[in-house]
Amino acid sequence: MRPLTGVKPGFGLVFWRELRWLRRRPFLLALTTYGPLALMALLTAIFSAGLATRLPIGVLDLDQTELSRAIIRTVDATPDAAVQIHVAELAEGRQLIQSSQIYGLLMLPQNLQRDVFSGRRPEVVFFYNTQKMTPGNLVLRGVTNAVLTAAAGIQIALRTSEGQPVEIATADLTPIPVQTNALFNPTLNYVHFLLAALLPSLLQIVIVTTSSYSAGLDIETHHRLRILRRLGGGLWRALAGKLLPYTLIYLSLLLIIDGILFRFFDLPLRGNGPFLLLAGILFILACQLIGVLLALLLKPTASAVSIGTLLTAPAFGYMGVSFPRHGMNAFAYYWGEILPGTWYLMVRIDQTIRGTPPELSSKPVLVLATFVTGLTVLVALLLELHRARSDAAAIRPAAVNEALP
Amino acid sequence: MSAIFGVFRNEFSRIFTLRPAFATLILATCLYAAFYPQPYVNEALRDLPIAIVDHDGTLGSQELARRVDATSDVAITMALPDLATAQHEVYARNISGILFIPQYFERDLLHGRPSPVALYADASYFLAYQRINGGVGAVARTFGIEVETARLIAAGVDPAIAAAAADPMPLTSVALFNPQGGYATYVLPAAFILLVQQTLLIGVGLLGTLPGGRFGTREGQAATAGPFAIVFGKLLTYLLLEAVVLPFYLIILPYLYGLPRLGSASHILIFAIPFVLAVGGFGMVVAAIFRKPIAVQLTFAAVGLPFFFLAGFAWPPESIPHAIRDAATLLPSSEAIDGLVKISQLGAPLFDARNQFLTLWALAFLYGGLALALEYRDRRRLQPNSAAA
Repeated sequence: MRPLTGVKPGFGLVFWRELRWLRRRPFLLALTTYGPLALMALLTAIFSAGLATRLPIGVLDLDQTELSRAIIRTVDATPDAAVQIHVAELAEGRQLIQSSQIYGLLMLPQNLQRDVFSGRRPEVVFFYNTQKMTPGNLVLRGVTNAVLTAAAGIQIALRTSEGQPVEIATADLTPIPVQTNALFNPTLNYVHFLLAALLPSLLQIVIVTTSSYSAGLDIETHHRLRILRRLGGGLWRALAGKLLPYTLIYLSLLLIIDGILFRFFDLPLRGNGPFLLLAGILFILACQLIGVLLALLLKPTASAVSIGTLLTAPAFGYMGVSFPRHGMNAFAYYWGEILPGTWYLMVRIDQTIRGTPPELSSKPVLVLATFVTGLTVLVALLLELHRARSDAAAIRPAAVNEALP
Repeated sequence: MSAIFGVFRNEFSRIFTLRPAFATLILATCLYAAFYPQPYVNEALRDLPIAIVDHDGTLGSQELARRVDATSDVAITMALPDLATAQHEVYARNISGILFIPQYFERDLLHGRPSPVALYADASYFLAYQRINGGVGAVARTFGIEVETARLIAAGVDPAIAAAAADPMPLTSVALFNPQGGYATYVLPAAFILLVQQTLLIGVGLLGTLPGGRFGTREGQAATAGPFAIVFGKLLTYLLLEAVVLPFYLIILPYLYGLPRLGSASHILIFAIPFVLAVGGFGMVVAAIFRKPIAVQLTFAAVGLPFFFLAGFAWPPESIPHAIRDAATLLPSSEAIDGLVKISQLGAPLFDARNQFLTLWALAFLYGGLALALEYRDRRRLQPNSAAA
């Protein structure tokens, strides 16, 4: 270490040293910039369609009448399902479902048309694959809508053919129609629902593990930590100078990917932009501090990175987007509570698709702020402890040396 | 042959003596088995809180509300005077939906006029939306059909005809493989396979980059074991390790979590052999590229999420861009999830998963071959050095 002549210790010194480190360490640079950006781009590409449409299903038409063909056409016309194959028997359809070539099989029974118009209420059966939940539910939705549409046409015909009074025949076909409004995401777009939540989850893993790593570079050896403190001219300035370069990098990552979501994937920003930004900054800081805390608690750095991975890699499930936290057991519910991502995703959903007034969305932001404060205090305490210990360690060998002749 | 065995014995002891390798291959494997499934073990969302805004206030509207409340899907936790108040509660996350019953609901219904109700369900969480939508929709349909049938009968229509006129062609939907629509049943079989891959991949990457990993044998033995023996001996080690892990993850864990399994255990395990070899080979290639244990750990920490969605399980492959789908074939997890879900969850014969099975063998040869080539390259690099020394 060259003497610090002419260089004033302080925040700036540590800040620029960190950026120079990044330039000299291509691996660290990759981990914090284009690596995560590439992974996020990959996830975005996977979900770029936004909606899953025209999913393949099969049809077993045992009736072969005008009605059965009309039903098949109606099913095929729905956006959800596409009739890809006509099978001759049930076993064939089963085999196709098992080999995942189709997500469902619509069976139209023999004498369907005859039985329908003689009022025998024949059953139309739809077998669908719920092991593959997303496509399974989508093809079910398509087939249900199509069969209900077909049935509505029959109802009118039935009533008039039975010589019903006109007012009964023209009466409502669905007595209690449910006008369903999908609040906040009317088209059920997976980009706005899942991708918008997956990207910060990925960022959470990256921030925690790389923060452990970069902090570990300074923490692993006592003298380095002392140098860092001296460069910063004090604990707080050293800590801020060490963390802030990364905060800015991670924030740019978040802004880039959100820019893409807003610009190209029509993610709405119905709420308050600055409020969302504030939550994003707090989220990034909380993740960074968790990483630093792990690096301070666990040596070597590899162990800190392992535990960081263990905490964040399976975190997506705990944050309650795919399976809401309402349905979780107590352990999972409270575990989700200690993840910064859980709270950030709440604010994110509130301020993007929901447009929640900020005062109703303030709790998660306050929790994130509490995380940041609490973690900062913890990190500072541990750093003080380290100094006390390393001072003691620095004195002891000196004493031993003096005692020796 | 004895060289292979020497490598095998050495690698096996390294799993248990090198702390990072042990932590990943053994401890993390055990921990994830208990930790990962926790959010999903309740399987389904029940009694999602919704509010009712009843502007009718008749016996009919109250009966509808009572029936909606009685389903396991939703619970009416609030009765609110208007939609604005209810929307405020949705924003505050106190409720996930609003059922609005307009004035004259009962009167219109009894007169045979369409009597719509409005359901506002929170679609910022799809699972909650589906549940509320499905639950309320089913109640409204049956209730409507009952009223309609009764009205037609009262109007002098033959009961059988009346029932037919109200619902002439009932649709029976049969949910296969996961009849309750349970979330754990849906997601865990695929997630377990990914967990096996990730722990093995990172573990092998660590073993290859930790001290003593370069030539698969202790100092001095390097000369006796050729690249071929090293790659084979290591793969044999991983296969033996996974011979314990795989039955645990693919058979015992699903059983403990109460997941249905239609495929036979032997088919599942036979299918898993090329999967383990492919992941093992992949891990050795990863080790040769990254060279430092910490680099392996950091690089592979975040890839689990994209890997999972690349498999075309949670998000249908039909909706993934073709180029990405093709590239995903290079990941053992993509093929293994596809094939193993078919065999173990859908009860398909091995023959129906032959494409995935063969692709996994191809990947095993590809990555094994690459590992072998890298081993040769390193040896050639080392030779001039050792000659000089």
